[in-house]
Amino acid sequence: MQAPAIRALGILSGEVRSAVPSADGGSAGAICGPETVDSKALDILALPRPDRPGDRFRRATRECLLALAAVDAMLEDGKASREAIAGERTALLYVTAAAYGASNRAFIEQRGGVMHFAYTAPAVVPAEVAIEFGVTGPYGIVIGGAPATLRAIEQAARLLAAGTCDRALVLAVEIFEECADLYTRHRRSYRWPLVETAACLWLERGAGGISFESARARGRAGGAAGPGERFAAGPLVELREWRARATGGPVELSGRWRGEQARLQWSPENSHARGSAA
Amino acid sequence: MATPERVVIAAAGVVTPIGQDLEGFWSSLVTGASGISQIERVRVDDLRVQRGGEVKKLGRIKDWRGVPDCRASRLLIAAADDLCAQTGFRPLPLDPARVGVVVGTALGGVEEGEKALAGDRGRGRLPQALYDGPGWALAKWLGARGPVITVSTACASGATAMAVAADLLRAGEVDAVVAGGYDALCRFVLRGFDALRSLTRDEVRPFDRRRSGLLLGEAGALALLVRERDARGPRLGTLLGYGSASDGFHIAAPEPEGRGLERAVRAALADARVSAADVDMVSAHGTATPLNDRIETAALKRALGRRAHEVPINSIKGSLGHTMGAAAALEAFMCLLSGQRGLIPPTLHLEEPDPECDLDYVPGQARPARPRIMLSTSMGFGGCNGALILEAA
Repeated sequence: MQAPAIRALGILSGEVRSAVPSADGGSAGAICGPETVDSKALDILALPRPDRPGDRFRRATRECLLALAAVDAMLEDGKASREAIAGERTALLYVTAAAYGASNRAFIEQRGGVMHFAYTAPAVVPAEVAIEFGVTGPYGIVIGGAPATLRAIEQAARLLAAGTCDRALVLAVEIFEECADLYTRHRRSYRWPLVETAACLWLERGAGGISFESARARGRAGGAAGPGERFAAGPLVELREWRARATGGPVELSGRWRGEQARLQWSPENSHARGSAA
Repeated sequence: MATPERVVIAAAGVVTPIGQDLEGFWSSLVTGASGISQIERVRVDDLRVQRGGEVKKLGRIKDWRGVPDCRASRLLIAAADDLCAQTGFRPLPLDPARVGVVVGTALGGVEEGEKALAGDRGRGRLPQALYDGPGWALAKWLGARGPVITVSTACASGATAMAVAADLLRAGEVDAVVAGGYDALCRFVLRGFDALRSLTRDEVRPFDRRRSGLLLGEAGALALLVRERDARGPRLGTLLGYGSASDGFHIAAPEPEGRGLERAVRAALADARVSAADVDMVSAHGTATPLNDRIETAALKRALGRRAHEVPINSIKGSLGHTMGAAAALEAFMCLLSGQRGLIPPTLHLEEPDPECDLDYVPGQARPARPRIMLSTSMGFGGCNGALILEAA
């Protein structure tokens, strides 16, 4: 299948890291790098709730606001205006394993008593992006870890190749802090620390090749993106690291979740991303 | 562009408030049976509305050993048991690595999260609470070792799942997919919809002038999908096309003109390579909220043009409530059975037409007709709109 080209990548991450300059002096994927918040020594590297003006966001959840900030970061990386992604020719694919856990818990425990029920749905995270940026094209929402994100990239490639859209956004958000005590009950299931991440990848039609494969595998969830666990957001951080290396050539992204090990091999040869990593 | 490979819906299995297998579901639909009752399994005494489409007893499976103690997983597996009883698909007749599972849900195993937060430290509670837990439980029960995908496009999830399954088959990643949707009635969702004031104390009356809201239901609905060239034996029909579109309008309310749904329908028609004039029947989302049914009517008129006034349009939510993640799959199966059996189930409790909903909504009784091409529409929280185009066998 024809591979998509990378137009831009925005990442917010709970890690302590500065933007890595790429070959042409641009940043290798915009990183809105808030100070890391160590979450009560629970080995969760958390992201603070972004400020966003406007009454509409008063009740928005942290995961929604992080998603919006990731899209802002992506637009900054691509030096693009928000109008560039508006409209029905933009597809939006959202992936998360567990970001909805925070709002689900708040609703169950009635903390503050003001959690709007609709905000408990995973679908509301891409909905806030769609509303804020006017994205009204095809969409998909996949629940799962890193393999689900690799599938979403492949799905984006398919939509682009079929002409169903002109650009596709792959959005991944994972937050952990609100459910830290629950994750520690399953401490051995994850690669600690858990690193909160929100990321958005902008893809357009390209000329390289892309192939996806998955198989059953044993072992903990995880990806190849540095230490720690980011669930669905891992592959996009891995992609950022590939861009930062600026060595060009194919990129291989991988990840594991529950019983699945997946791998995406990708030659985004005509990538015209800022930073021209390829 | 080359015509995409056709994907066949070989068989379907369900568990619903009106029948614990496909035949029971169908006969209840055509006879106008109602599955709405007082909810008994979870506490509702503090809620404004205490009724819904509850499955009173999961009677299909006697031995639940090895299956998580999770209502959502068990609904899904009960539906799979019906499917397997018809198809002999368990034990799997294919290489397990070539069999995928794709399920849609609005709630996943959230009830397990409720239990865990209430102090239940049962093993597996938390993994099942993640929304993809029940899908993995189904794959384990089936013995499938291909891809396991969970989609959550709110109440359009069942449609999305069928489309993703078709993509997996066309990509050659698998040779068969068990796909559909599920959701369980639990306190979490009942409390949520109660707070939204979306639930009615009356009957669910899609497209009726007096409609005042929806009632929730629970169900599991699964189909066996294969490529047409691999299909053997009887089949329900063919999945011809799928379309989706975001409203980009509001997190809970549909866009007032139904533009998102209109785009989804147009995209599905294009994907199926059929025109509005080819459509013989529509299964509407038809939730019976004042807003939804008016908006859906307007969107269908624009998307189908004159044809919207000529074809029968039904909603089955009056019979079993809104089964959320299962709804679109159940409605797709209903469409295919309509074409196969020559009968379109009525829109239950539609008695007084609404001037703003002025299409043919099949009131009263089941109607003899044998539709060939069907459109099924879905709308969900977050402005998720989905549409399927189906062809009867």
